[in-house]
Amino acid sequence: MKHTITRKEDLNAVDYVIDVVAPEVAKRFRPGNFAVLITVKNGERIPMSIERAEGDTITMYIKRLGKTSRELDTWNVGDALYKVIGPMGTPPPLKKYGTVVFASDLVCGHAENNAMCRELGKIMGNHIISIQSFPDKSLIYPEKELAKSVSDEFILCTEDGSVGRKGHYLDIMQELLEERRIDQVFAGGGIPPLQKLSELTKKYNVPVYTTVRQIMVDATGMCGSCRVFIDGEQKLACIDGPMFDGHKVDWEAAISRLAMFKNKEAVAMECYNEKMKEVV
Amino acid sequence: MAVQPRVPMREQNPAVRITNFMSVPLGYSSEEAVTEAKRCLQCKVPMCETGCPVRMSIKDIIKLIADEEFEKAFYLSKADNAVPAMTGRVCPQEDQCEGKCVLDKTGQPINIGKLFAFVADWARKKDILEQIPEESNGKKVAIVGAGPAGITCSVDLRKLGYEVTVFEALHMAGGVLQYGIPAFRLPRDVVDYELSYLEKIGVDIQLNKVVGQNVDFEVLKKEYDAIYLATGAGAPRFLNCEGEKLKGVYSANEFLIRVNLMKAYKFPDWDTPIICGDKVGVIGCGNVAMDAARCAKRLGAKEVSILYRRTKQCAPARAEEIHHAEEEGIIFKEMISPCRIFGNEDGWVTGIEMVKTEFKGTDKSGRPRPVNVEGSEFILEMDTIINALGTTPNRLFLSNVPELDTYSWGGIKVDDNYMSNIPGVFAGGDALSGGSTVIDAMGNGRDAAEAIDKYLNNP
Ligand SMILES: Cc1cc2nc3c(=O)[nH]c(=O)nc-3n(C[C@H](O)[C@H](O)[C@H](O)COP(=O)(O)OP(=O)(O)OC[C@H]3O[C@@H](n4cnc5c(N)ncnc54)[C@H](O)[C@@H]3O)c2cc1C
Ligand SMILES: Cc1cc2nc3c(=O)[nH]c(=O)nc-3n(C[C@H](O)[C@H](O)[C@H](O)COP(=O)(O)OP(=O)(O)OC[C@H]3O[C@@H](n4cnc5c(N)ncnc54)[C@H](O)[C@@H]3O)c2cc1C
Ligand code: FES
Repeated sequence: MKHTITRKEDLNAVDYVIDVVAPEVAKRFRPGNFAVLITVKNGERIPMSIERAEGDTITMYIKRLGKTSRELDTWNVGDALYKVIGPMGTPPPLKKYGTVVFASDLVCGHAENNAMCRELGKIMGNHIISIQSFPDKSLIYPEKELAKSVSDEFILCTEDGSVGRKGHYLDIMQELLEERRIDQVFAGGGIPPLQKLSELTKKYNVPVYTTVRQIMVDATGMCGSCRVFIDGEQKLACIDGPMFDGHKVDWEAAISRLAMFKNKEAVAMECYNEKMKEVV
Repeated sequence: MAVQPRVPMREQNPAVRITNFMSVPLGYSSEEAVTEAKRCLQCKVPMCETGCPVRMSIKDIIKLIADEEFEKAFYLSKADNAVPAMTGRVCPQEDQCEGKCVLDKTGQPINIGKLFAFVADWARKKDILEQIPEESNGKKVAIVGAGPAGITCSVDLRKLGYEVTVFEALHMAGGVLQYGIPAFRLPRDVVDYELSYLEKIGVDIQLNKVVGQNVDFEVLKKEYDAIYLATGAGAPRFLNCEGEKLKGVYSANEFLIRVNLMKAYKFPDWDTPIICGDKVGVIGCGNVAMDAARCAKRLGAKEVSILYRRTKQCAPARAEEIHHAEEEGIIFKEMISPCRIFGNEDGWVTGIEMVKTEFKGTDKSGRPRPVNVEGSEFILEMDTIINALGTTPNRLFLSNVPELDTYSWGGIKVDDNYMSNIPGVFAGGDALSGGSTVIDAMGNGRDAAEAIDKYLNNP
């Protein structure tokens, strides 16, 4: 199977979107699933949320972060990834909740935000509020990639107020929770804000599902690297999650464990930069 | 008559080999193999064969080697064993064939494992392969998992004319042979060669297919005449003690998958990193623990200790692995059991609290039962802890097929014919036993192939 890239566009200065041929992943995708990419033969298995599946292709939003995501960014339409595996993970139930909010602030969150709002909106009785939060105007996505069209209410915000409402999704959530009845919150993105969101929603007694990103190796439940601690019990993000009840997550452990390979990632990036220098 | 001593195996020098991932044993030359094979007494009743779970014709194969008929020896070994170069290297021969050898009493049993590895290596270098007719009998069998159990079952069924498709969750076939056992014990060219045999005889291997997750089990049931579940026991078991969340605490599976499947020892040429500290503690004393400890040494750890609640005499690891580990400077700390793991403010491991143990009676396995000595706790400074406590059956598949009957610990229940409670769905290997050996998993695979054949011919 050739996993050819059929579309690749910049979302902003740090993020890009790609469509990749992966019919089997596309066929079984449910919002909240992720895929595992191996870009080249020597590559690692990296998890990526799936924004949508259409026909034979899946769409992913990717942040230029370290070696793999930057190397992939040098590829073009027509190039093929080594392996695309999925869909993986167990999404939370997609059912009638009432008024549902999906909040996201970083790359990971936005893909799920679109995917979940699209699906939850199709279910009778759900009123969908999507909040997408960006650092500033230069970093927001093009309109067609935002969740506006799949939500009943759409709130775009920037932390410096350069576009949309001023503030982070946490600020908007605080207002919403104070003013209205919210039945269920979903959120993805940076881990520290998710911890804060979990504390906030707990205060208002509103349930929240959060995407708990952890370092994955096999992503099939065999290594235990992605373990998260839910109410003292050990779960695996790759097969039990990655979305979990935010009120029960051991956030300190999640934040700490996600940083385990920081130094090594810097080494990989340095070596990649050296290699690119030789190419130029 | 005095018994000739075993022809010694040439090995990489311990001081050198801890700096690389190349094979530790260097293999027999043809002359050495013939000399070793000639030591065989050709017993009338070959006890060695009774010890072999796949019932190889050990006596005849050794005779062929002694007569320098290597090609015939290869064909004969392949008849019962799809992967002799691998089993020759990883089987616990001391408990099986070699343990039953008459010469074992003299302390010098025939080196059966190394002889079989020699024959298979010889064939690999000559590119000799057994030919299998491609005709199909029109029936289709799906096999879930490409470890030793699945591989063996697929080969046997293919030989009987079935159309066989193997579904494998990872991006490489082999199961533990690929992701668990390191290259210094099982060189990857050997693995690649023996697995390429499957494709050559027409077994269809579908990688990256996680049955139950991205392949629908219901669809498999409809499309295939029978299914064999060989999903292994890949899920790591943890101590469930304080401190397991800390950075620097690994399950042996994570550590070994990073190193063996993802080639982290070649980082940054390969992308997957690994962090191995200077002072490494490995909890457990099975093959998995030996592999993790010896990998840690090769990744540059200064001091690697096995932390074990019994003594190494009652350890489940192969004798050769313990011997090699000792040669490589792995320290064995026996009769101690872990209590909790400590860390610093940044969340990294700094040490482990252990308690001394003593033996009281015997347990279900017949081994002495260790109990903690109250008040004997002490602390070992460590910066990496690797948990090699064993594994449990792969949960991902099981959770997607709730109608499958299992034991409370996750093992799949089967009847005398390896059939589960779902008609036409068979199971074997570590998914049944919760963890045993390569050759036992293969024996299971053979028996299941026979049972599946019978089932499909007289449903
Ligand atoms: C369930 C899940 C969904 C994700 N969805 C997206 C997405 O939609 N878009 C996106 O850009 N990123 C997503 N990620 C994160 C993505 O996997 C990492 O950004 C990617 O692995 C970075 O690789 P790199 O080599 O470019 O960077 P590196 O330099 O290797 O790492 C940069 C950072 O990425 C994270 N990371 C690194 N390796 C892994 C790994 N094997 N597993 C998980 N995280 C890792 C770490 O936080 C690390 O600090 C997701 C992660 C998870 C767990
Ligand atoms: C590190 C280590 C060292 C060992 N050393 C030795 C040794 O020296 N000698 C010895 O005899 N034994 C050894 N063993 C034990 C031996 O490897 C196992 O008993 C044997 O591999 C079991 O074979 P299996 O086919 O049942 O399972 P496995 O080898 O575990 O293979 C199962 C396969 O199924 C796949 N799978 C799981 N779920 C799914 C799914 N849903 N869909 C598709 N595929 C799936 C897995 O990815 C895997 O590839 C060792 C084990 C380990 C972990
Ligand atoms: S990534 Fe290995 S268990 Fe989840």
